[in-house]
Amino acid sequence: MTQRPLAGNNVIDRRGLGRMLSRIMNASVDEALIGLVDSSDRTARRVGFTGAPGAGKSTLISRYAKGCLEQGNKTGILAIDPTSPVSGGALLGDRIRMDAVADDARLFIRSVPSRNAHDGLCDNAPDLLLAMEQFGFDDIVLETVGVGQVEYSVKTLVDTLVLVLMPESGDAIQAMKAGILESADIIVINKADLPGAERSHAEISVILGHRPRTADTWSTQLIMASDIDGRGIGQLSDTIIQHRAWLSTHRDHDDMRRKRRAYHLHSLIARRAHEVMHQMGDDIINQDLVGAFRQLASLVAPVDRG
Amino acid sequence: MTLKNKRILIAKPGLDGHDVGAKIIALALRDAGADVIYTGLRKSPDYIARVAVEEDVHCVGLSVLSGSHIELLKQTLAELKDADAADMQVFIGGTIPPDDRDTLIQLGASAVFTAEMKIDDVVQAIVDSLKDQS
Repeated sequence: MTQRPLAGNNVIDRRGLGRMLSRIMNASVDEALIGLVDSSDRTARRVGFTGAPGAGKSTLISRYAKGCLEQGNKTGILAIDPTSPVSGGALLGDRIRMDAVADDARLFIRSVPSRNAHDGLCDNAPDLLLAMEQFGFDDIVLETVGVGQVEYSVKTLVDTLVLVLMPESGDAIQAMKAGILESADIIVINKADLPGAERSHAEISVILGHRPRTADTWSTQLIMASDIDGRGIGQLSDTIIQHRAWLSTHRDHDDMRRKRRAYHLHSLIARRAHEVMHQMGDDIINQDLVGAFRQLASLVAPVDRG
Repeated sequence: MTLKNKRILIAKPGLDGHDVGAKIIALALRDAGADVIYTGLRKSPDYIARVAVEEDVHCVGLSVLSGSHIELLKQTLAELKDADAADMQVFIGGTIPPDDRDTLIQLGASAVFTAEMKIDDVVQAIVDSLKDQS
């Protein structure tokens, strides 16, 4: 690795940020509330990548990040992988697919286990993103677990959401069912060198064409991409920039902040309920459901440390 | 879940051609509850130190089959020190002659593992050595 010397705010305090992200990841709800940052002066351009496992999200992200770095932007990647419900452990392997950019001095990659989160994200995801913004990144990429059909959460936390599909995997039908298409700003049919890519493209075009549209709606863009022959990579970066430009004139920033706050609140409450149930063990379950709910609800209020 | 909330980097420094052993250890550690990050093949010690710091791991496991284990351990420890991460434990495994074991420990390895060892014993040794860390 050649660590290029960088001036001023281009330097990444890797040790400091690495440790801060660990503290945030491991924070209980009470601890998270103490250090909570509700909004930030610094904002980065946030792009989320979602899609089924094996669709090529990590590789596509490394190509997108390369473009960001070539623009001279400090770029951070949060890559979430699933936690095993059996062992509680996780194998965090997204980084291996990002070798093409991994040496760049302006890049920071952090692998995060999903732990208790069931929405494709991880514990304290909003806080992790805010912490990275405070370390001065220009671009932040969030890679979801990729379980699909739970994409509303990531949509709330990013500016642009990219859905990555594979040809002929039945994804098109799944996407129609789950309503993911409504959430995605950009849909990439990845591995477009494989057979069936054209057909998938045609199918999804038809679905997109039937969606109701107004003058104020972003029209979801469909891109064919392949890491083998490099097609679509530049188009993806250009389209993300176009979407960002569209947001600057069309997005209701107060509404966005309200939605992010609502997600943050919801995820704190859900985790708090999980913590309480974990502490109570079987005691809370060994009663009728209404009673259990009332007891849980009464215990969810955090300890007052004031 | 003896390694719950522990973060471990499994790294392949040097020019080894395969990583079956490293992957087996990575999976065993995951099954013991750890968050395991794997670097992939042929990484330099300074890259490994950078990943260790970004991922803020509790320990780094080096897998070396090439015979360069002494040099690669030295370099990795030096890079970790440069990265303000001298406190991270480093263990090393692979094809390592018994005679080199003491040298590796003296250089600063927290444990040395060889292919003859049972996986469970390797995991237990890592659990034990991380217990002392907060």
